[in-house]
Amino acid sequence: MFSSKMKNGVAASMPIIATYAVLGMACGIVLYDAGVSVLGISIMSVMVYAGAGQFLAASMLVLGAAVPSVVMMVFFLNLRHVLMSASMSTYVKEKSFGFIALFSHVLTDESYGINYTKFREGNWSPEEAMITSVINYSTWVISTIVGGFIGSQIQVNTIIMNYALIAMFLYMMVQQFISKEHLIAGIASIILTVILTIVLKHNIALVIATILASFVGYGLEVRKNRRQRPVTKGNESYD
Amino acid sequence: MTSPWLLILGMAVVTYIPRFLPMLLLSKKEISPSFSRWMTYIPVSIFAALVASDIFFWEDGFTINPAINIKLIPSVIVFLIAYKTKNLMWSMIFGIGGITLLWFVF
Repeated sequence: MFSSKMKNGVAASMPIIATYAVLGMACGIVLYDAGVSVLGISIMSVMVYAGAGQFLAASMLVLGAAVPSVVMMVFFLNLRHVLMSASMSTYVKEKSFGFIALFSHVLTDESYGINYTKFREGNWSPEEAMITSVINYSTWVISTIVGGFIGSQIQVNTIIMNYALIAMFLYMMVQQFISKEHLIAGIASIILTVILTIVLKHNIALVIATILASFVGYGLEVRKNRRQRPVTKGNESYD
Repeated sequence: MTSPWLLILGMAVVTYIPRFLPMLLLSKKEISPSFSRWMTYIPVSIFAALVASDIFFWEDGFTINPAINIKLIPSVIVFLIAYKTKNLMWSMIFGIGGITLLWFVF
């Protein structure tokens, strides 16, 4: 019984392992490049475990950002997990506090995606979900450490390395253009970031621009919905 | 870097809270629809802010001259490829290839 759950959990994490291994190594390299030691990278991956957040930290550290600015940006970036976490609560209601404490720590976009799909299909248990998530977690931790070592051994061109991060963020930005309002929020954020960075000369500009732009997008959506008076959309995107 | 441990601790706290508290305390129905709609605008704003704070600046100054700021042309290419192909690998290959080429030319 236990071994079959183990097998299912391992099988489910297979597609994620490859992705995490590649991205994790890249993340380790850029974090090392940004001035975090290999020990720092390992502790960060174990304690934080947030791919996008760790890439964001690397990028902002290179810009010379202050710790509070980075932490605030990571917070906003991770707010998206609120919905995923709440939606998982249904499936782990019977489990102990300790189980939930660990299971929520290893919740990522990818682990959520797999587990949520499997839970909805039926035939999926909290234990299998935990195994899948923990394997993804271990893959990330190990590959970021490997990346850190690679970064410490090879001399990378800083401009090109940092640009790799920017290309990734550009890609992620474009993938978020899911409606006209999201596109406008993105444009607003670009304009606000440039203006506020020039005016404030501090990386807090990114935090302020992000919050203002998110309200621009949301405000436009509310206005559109008022005009059209449609059925409320709710949080169907994670359903 | 000034204080990596403080940074790591701060990141750990703000990452864990949104993952842990809702699972422990809430079900999905208890989250207000307006809050969850607002949240969908945060990632796009963050990525746009990160991109803007980097590509429009060169050696600490706002520069949109593509001959000085060599990040601009590859960024237009990455943008178009990301939009057309929706493929991360191609976007990054062309972006890194473009900047490498320009870096050696200029």
